[in-house]
Amino acid sequence: MAQVVLKDLVKTYGSVYAAKDVSLTVNDGEFVALVGPSGCGKTTTLNLVAGLIPITSGDIIIGDRVVNDLDPKDRDIAMVFQNYALYPQKTVFQNLAFPLQMRKLPKDEIDRKVREAAKVLDITHLLERKPRELSGGQQQRVALGRALVRDPAVFLMDEPLSNLDAKLRVQMRSEIKRFHQDLNATIIYVTHDQLEAVTMADKMAVMNGGLLQQYDTPAQVFANPVNMFVASFVGSPAMSLVPLEVSSTNGITSLTSAEGWHLPLSAENARKVANARSKKVVLGARHSTIRLHKEKLGDAVPAKVYTVEPTGDITFVQAFLSGAIVNISLPPSVIVEPDEMVWLEFDQDRIHLFDGETEMALRAE
Amino acid sequence: MTIATGHAAALQRADIKRPNVFQQMWASRADYLYVLPAIVVMLVVIAYPIYYTVELSFFKTPPGLQLRDKVFVGTENYSTILSSDVFWKVTVNTFIWTIASTLIAFVLGFGAALALHRDFVGRAILRAILIIPWVISAVAASYIWKWIYHSDFGVLGAVMVQLGLADRQPNFIDNVHTVLPSLIVVNIWREFPFAMIMLMAGLQTVPDQLLRAAKVDGASAWQRFWHVTFPHLRGVSTVTILLLAVANFNSFIIPWITTGGGPSNASHIWITHIYELAFGRQRWGVAAAYSVLLFAILMVLGYFYVKALSGNDKQEHGA
Repeated sequence: MAQVVLKDLVKTYGSVYAAKDVSLTVNDGEFVALVGPSGCGKTTTLNLVAGLIPITSGDIIIGDRVVNDLDPKDRDIAMVFQNYALYPQKTVFQNLAFPLQMRKLPKDEIDRKVREAAKVLDITHLLERKPRELSGGQQQRVALGRALVRDPAVFLMDEPLSNLDAKLRVQMRSEIKRFHQDLNATIIYVTHDQLEAVTMADKMAVMNGGLLQQYDTPAQVFANPVNMFVASFVGSPAMSLVPLEVSSTNGITSLTSAEGWHLPLSAENARKVANARSKKVVLGARHSTIRLHKEKLGDAVPAKVYTVEPTGDITFVQAFLSGAIVNISLPPSVIVEPDEMVWLEFDQDRIHLFDGETEMALRAE
Repeated sequence: MTIATGHAAALQRADIKRPNVFQQMWASRADYLYVLPAIVVMLVVIAYPIYYTVELSFFKTPPGLQLRDKVFVGTENYSTILSSDVFWKVTVNTFIWTIASTLIAFVLGFGAALALHRDFVGRAILRAILIIPWVISAVAASYIWKWIYHSDFGVLGAVMVQLGLADRQPNFIDNVHTVLPSLIVVNIWREFPFAMIMLMAGLQTVPDQLLRAAKVDGASAWQRFWHVTFPHLRGVSTVTILLLAVANFNSFIIPWITTGGGPSNASHIWITHIYELAFGRQRWGVAAAYSVLLFAILMVLGYFYVKALSGNDKQEHGA
């Protein structure tokens, strides 16, 4: 295993940046998820690391070698693809043996390595089958096995779970996590599903528009998103974002809605909004930090219920607040009706404040 | 509409009591009525000629007599054919013609498809040029090649003389040893674009992800071709070879126009020979018997071919 360093990585197609100045370090044995919406540059970045597409500028370092100009086979990587990419005419054994045959390993060594990998992944009984005779989960395990036999410095995984049905995806999620823990493998994992990234990865790199937005542990990304994009992308349901204006009366700083209500801010939050470029500030809050009241209470602000979605143990409510949709979670014992007027109370310690112009998170210092 | 409702009605009734075949047919009588014209046409243009050919093969049709005055001779026509040297010579010619044309056209087409699969300047133009032999009329092509091969004025022989490859104009098609290979060259020239188009279509369906996986696994360009591309093209290759083989067994235009089967039957293949027996020498009975034999041979070949195909299929899809 080895560490992977990306330095100012750039990939352009004509004048379009597919990846722009991407810099990050994947430590030895770390599981890093590249996450973002379609077209954000995450798969491009992975293919650059794999060497399947040439880089425009920057450096890729695997272990202690700069691999910019090396062929994929010389980079000491293994890749797991979205559609498994198993060779359909070969048996499972032949699929696992293929990368070893390409390296001209002796036959008995190939046999031993394939059987070892098969044992680790519990696919020994499938070795003589063809890929089409396997279930999606089994095919996925074979694809992992083909990567595993190589004993590579780093595993690259390109949305390996997105072809599986929901139930199997959850199961394979824990299997890949286990795979990482058992092998202490360095893994770079691309996904568009933030939940996969949050649940599996040691660190997540959130990308958008070819740019790396934030690179940190899932807990940090969740708790301290650097901008509105990360805030709304990570977490389900998404963080609610309400555009408001800053006002100040009698030394108390408040957020004011065009609907006429005020939300007084705590001293720390007031320091944050003082750093905003203009009066435009966006209030962010996660569903679990908003309290819903049926009557006006303290600093609670008025909202109108839009939809109610019971899920069994939690009821999700969407409400209009100052023209924006706000997600709130409630215990199922609280009954609310669509179009009902409610009051929302925000937890001052857990709200997020963003600059309305730059969309960056506001900090107190 | 009728098919759907008739089927649904039949299904409903099946719950109560399974109707017999005639009841089912009667229930969907309208459907039979709709396909009746097609069945009648098929009977007239296919079934009757087959029947008449088989009947005719047991009769002698002496020249000067009307066809309806034919004389019953039993299996004499068959024994005449099977004991004639010409039949065996023509059969060998046909197999050489078919196998050589099919395989070489396939290999050339495969090469052209691979060459045209990658992007380069002028690809579209080259592709269009390579398709020309397949789209021009076979009759026109045969006349052109007849002149190219001409023993006095042929451009090919002239070029060979100019280049010092030959002392004098070679006899391509007036020589019993070179005529068949020369015609096979023409046939390959005409057919390889077909294989090329089929395989180009097949190449576009090779999953890019598999090729990338093989690249990461360390496969060279040749190994990627051998382990990914080629196995993926097995289906389309089988179909292409089958279609080429059928077309080549039934070839007529190129040998007939270029040489008429000569010299001394050296370029006769089955169909040209049958045509000459029937329409050249009015030996209808022998030609008919010949056709029946050919039919039988092709049926046997077809049986083995279909068996091989379905064997492949089982390997592909069985579990």
